[in-house]
Amino acid sequence: MLTFRPLPWDYGVRNLLRRPGRSALTLLGLGTVVFLVFLVVAFVRGLETSLAVSGDPLVVLVHSLGAGENIENSTIPGQGAGVLSASLGRVETRYRQKHVSPELYLGTEVTTESVKEPAMGLVRGVTLAAPLVRRQFQLIEGTWPTTGEAIVGRLAAAKLGCDPAELVIGRTLRIEGRPWKISGRFAAAGAAFESEIWCLVDDLQQAMKRQDVSLVAVAVSEAKGLADVGEFCKERVDLEWEATPELDYYASLQTHYGPVRSVAWLIVLLVSGAGAFAGLNTMYGAVVGRVRELAMLQTIGFSRRAIALSIVQEGVLLAAAGSLLAAAVALPLLNGLAVRFTMGAFTLRLDSVSLLYGLCTGLAIGVLGSLPPAWRALRMPVVDGLKAI
Amino acid sequence: MSSGTWTGFVGLALAVFAVGCGQTTIAPAPQSTSATPAASAGGAEVLLHEQPVDAKPVGDVRESAEDGIEVTILGRIGGGANPWVDGRAAFTIVDPKVEPCHPSEGCPTPWDYCCSTDQLPKNRAMIKVVDAAGGTVEQDARQFLGLKELQTVVVKGKAKRDEAGNLTVLANGVFVVPEQK
Repeated sequence: MLTFRPLPWDYGVRNLLRRPGRSALTLLGLGTVVFLVFLVVAFVRGLETSLAVSGDPLVVLVHSLGAGENIENSTIPGQGAGVLSASLGRVETRYRQKHVSPELYLGTEVTTESVKEPAMGLVRGVTLAAPLVRRQFQLIEGTWPTTGEAIVGRLAAAKLGCDPAELVIGRTLRIEGRPWKISGRFAAAGAAFESEIWCLVDDLQQAMKRQDVSLVAVAVSEAKGLADVGEFCKERVDLEWEATPELDYYASLQTHYGPVRSVAWLIVLLVSGAGAFAGLNTMYGAVVGRVRELAMLQTIGFSRRAIALSIVQEGVLLAAAGSLLAAAVALPLLNGLAVRFTMGAFTLRLDSVSLLYGLCTGLAIGVLGSLPPAWRALRMPVVDGLKAI
Repeated sequence: MSSGTWTGFVGLALAVFAVGCGQTTIAPAPQSTSATPAASAGGAEVLLHEQPVDAKPVGDVRESAEDGIEVTILGRIGGGANPWVDGRAAFTIVDPKVEPCHPSEGCPTPWDYCCSTDQLPKNRAMIKVVDAAGGTVEQDARQFLGLKELQTVVVKGKAKRDEAGNLTVLANGVFVVPEQK
């Protein structure tokens, strides 16, 4: 009975070790390719996660009409928070404190003590209601700011492109022509706020000679409260306010960054293609250099399919090793790395999904790169192969 | 590898590239001529089968109506990029004398009246379909009444005025004026 008899597993492994220089170079090439794939996927995942965790399903942002996509340009009178507190039901309330946060939000030049060149930073003027509404907020070091003080987010240094040592407690920042002493540091579970600098809204209004705020963030006690805010804004046409649920706001930002994600995936495709060609080149070299050996294997009874499978095995082994190597390097190097972006900063995220993408890409490169040489091995006549020099 | 095989690979790569970089299809701008969605069972009770004869356009009602009186108001659904209150049977209407953006201008949301925003403040009203308890029905008007942007409606209800001059109609009956062919 005719049965399929593959070449021994060790044969493919030994073949790789017979050409250590070439195998090592290919391993390095494939590892680099997969590392780049990890980098791009971690970028996309980091961006998506940052936007996804930034929105609270029970928070609605009230801003001026039409400013939903550019909230820095929104303007709401200073008493806006009071009007909303007094007019709305279903607002989250604890100890008679309504969770309504007036915020003045802007992108402006920030100068640190040592670096005299100002950098563009994100500054949010807040009140004590902000941590009630922004439930991800955690003061991780120092104290809540008082007049002339500010607290900095975990990723503010990345956003400003400065050394984190510039933003330690006690240092001074210069914003809107005024010095602000850093009184604390905060985190926000990976949300976009982590790249911001927070100070008291009254303080910031004085510094900017403004009396308005950019938005009022309202935390509602139940989902129906979101519609209450929308209804109020639609009814009070004279105010020219608009309500955008925070989830929708960040979802619109995700849409806004859609082309960036598309380009990132195109880069993954191109880099993977380059990796596949590198693997292809190596495996072609391996086949061309072993024409007589492959013909001899056929002569002693191994089928062409078994030989092709062995060649694919070699390619996949190399690619798998390269992928693991890339993962071992990328995990400590890339995961959690802060990246500056237009909306602020976020950390690269090399999570299980990113690892799966990268490793699968590596294996796919191994298979695709070794299929054409395997096909060539299948087509080669035995006699020609045995006579080949 | 033979030159034929290489040619094949290059051809395949070019084909993949060509497919990937093909022109994106431009989605047609949203039109208000799409089929009207059906109203829900509760909404059908609010919809009127005959057009009230005493309807006045939004602008006139804003000028004359006092708080608490019964009004019949005529207007076109719009007045903002999103004239609806998500999750509520509430929406804004605009006086029919104010023209929405012409389709030839290519505006994707002609119901926001972006070409005549200066006329909106005096010609816009909010409609809230209320239940027996006087609260706004907690269903989206698009599903509850089967409405869509730029439809002309006649609404019967009670006027609610505030100090700023805003007009809200607490509606108990809505008639959808059939579109002209």
